Amino acid sequence: MTGRERVLAAMRRHRPDRVPFDLSFDMAPAKLDEFRRRTGSALTPEEYFGADTRMVRLGPSRLSSDFSFWLGAATGLALDEWGIGRRATSSADRAHAHLDGFVHPLRDARQDADLRDYPFPDIDADYRYDHPREAIAAVQEAGLAAVAMMECTIFETAWFLRGMEALLLDFADRARLAGALLDAITARRIVQARRYAELGADVLSMGDDVGTQRGMLMSVRMWRQWLKPRLARVVTAARAVRPDVLVFYHSDGNMAAIIPDLIEIGVDILNPVQPECMDPAALKAQYGDRLSFWGLIGTQSTLPFGTPADVAADVRLRVETVGAGGGLFLAPTHVIEPEVPYENIVAFVEAVKASGTR
Amino acid sequence: MEDVKDMPERTWIDELRDAVVEGADVEARRIAAAAAGAGIEARALVEMALVPAMDEVGRRFEANEYYVPELLLSARAMKAAFAVLAPALAARPATVAGRVALGTVSGDLHDIGKNLVATVLQGGGFDVVDLGVDVPPERFVEVVQEGGVDIVAMSSLITTTMPGMAATIEALARAGVRERVKVIVGGAPVSAAYAARIGADGFSDNAAGAVALARRLRS
Repeated sequence: MTGRERVLAAMRRHRPDRVPFDLSFDMAPAKLDEFRRRTGSALTPEEYFGADTRMVRLGPSRLSSDFSFWLGAATGLALDEWGIGRRATSSADRAHAHLDGFVHPLRDARQDADLRDYPFPDIDADYRYDHPREAIAAVQEAGLAAVAMMECTIFETAWFLRGMEALLLDFADRARLAGALLDAITARRIVQARRYAELGADVLSMGDDVGTQRGMLMSVRMWRQWLKPRLARVVTAARAVRPDVLVFYHSDGNMAAIIPDLIEIGVDILNPVQPECMDPAALKAQYGDRLSFWGLIGTQSTLPFGTPADVAADVRLRVETVGAGGGLFLAPTHVIEPEVPYENIVAFVEAVKASGTR
Repeated sequence: MEDVKDMPERTWIDELRDAVVEGADVEARRIAAAAAGAGIEARALVEMALVPAMDEVGRRFEANEYYVPELLLSARAMKAAFAVLAPALAARPATVAGRVALGTVSGDLHDIGKNLVATVLQGGGFDVVDLGVDVPPERFVEVVQEGGVDIVAMSSLITTTMPGMAATIEALARAGVRERVKVIVGGAPVSAAYAARIGADGFSDNAAGAVALARRLRS
């Protein structure tokens, strides 16, 4: 099987020749340096280790929006195309520094009218899809599965813009503002999902973190009110042009409470199924006929703290308990952080390649 | 809430507690002001309404009846009521339960949990010195050396910044001030075992627990 055939078979819950894998969101900068040092290779870790997928993203924007009005006096920020500011932090040089140092451009918004002039990005513009068109074709030509990235789909982008505390309080007392913000993002995501599907992406990679280690970040009721219907519209838009596109949903933490809802709106694949706070075997037993599982190798447990033998045993355990009849894709549950021993990454890849199937 | 003057103290306290538990900030502020106006002691309102309210919020959070949004709403309501009562409390410094210097450790900019703990500690009668986020060990040492701090409280959300807690405890020891204070820690990746390993005096995984812990360490 090619990597692409392997991914498609496994995620459609047919038996692959072995469990497919990749390296999740890749390595933290310090780890990447170590990879270069050790291998002397100019390849990406995905290429070097022979991962079954490649991520595809939008081409760069031609807009040069001026966010200075929104960001106020804050200086020295790295801005993304949404206008979300990132301040350099002392952890930036030694860790991935994700979710650090935000400056939220909409932190002072008071009402929905305040969003009217906000320079939202043009992720829905035709020219942004020239690059993914070529990239998806090239990835598939190489026999690999193209994973079209649209992570931080709605909720996370909204709170990056607004501030998490502010957005969660908006849900309670500025419903019009919260609704307008989520709608502005959703409208663009709908186009993005449709375009990715049209271009033949194998997996549509959606996600918003709504889990904590001990349960949902917000109540299921609140999630159903604010996020579920909007996510459903995004999935529906993709399915309308390509009914068999695989829909992947990422949320860290224990978000088991919304799994039935995710299946209902058309999610095929759950990621990362953090083994520290959810039981992958139990989820397989409960939802395995309707849902595939992607991730499962814990970056909070075995990868940083285990031995290479522990990592290999973990891979075998997951193949044994979750891999029956397909439906399993193994990957680190998140970015490979600096404290993960390099030998454990190698052990992970070797164990998966030796996994065979069940 | 119409005929405020005649309400017995018990009812004031219940009303204020309920407003905070329900996360109604405007209501909580109004009740706190009216109760103070009716002659109920600020300290009684804090101890019998605000603290039990946040305990109840913590209980509901533990039981998965409340989530982060409800926690934020209740904390905001508590702050609103507390702001009304603070001047009266400040006039009587003898009632302060202790002074806590609190911050998120070096390299870590997460502050939602740290802010909640600060608010709830204030509600619990503690004087809180909030050092903010990305606080290096030397800054904690400096504040302890300045004197008056009873407890150092550290927060970390990510595994890569947790060592900042151990580094701070070591820095306090090196500066010869470790014995002057109790050190408490919390945050998503932090556990009781980790707290014990780095020589902290206590650990809590939630805001209400942090207040109980701080009280225990001060008693």
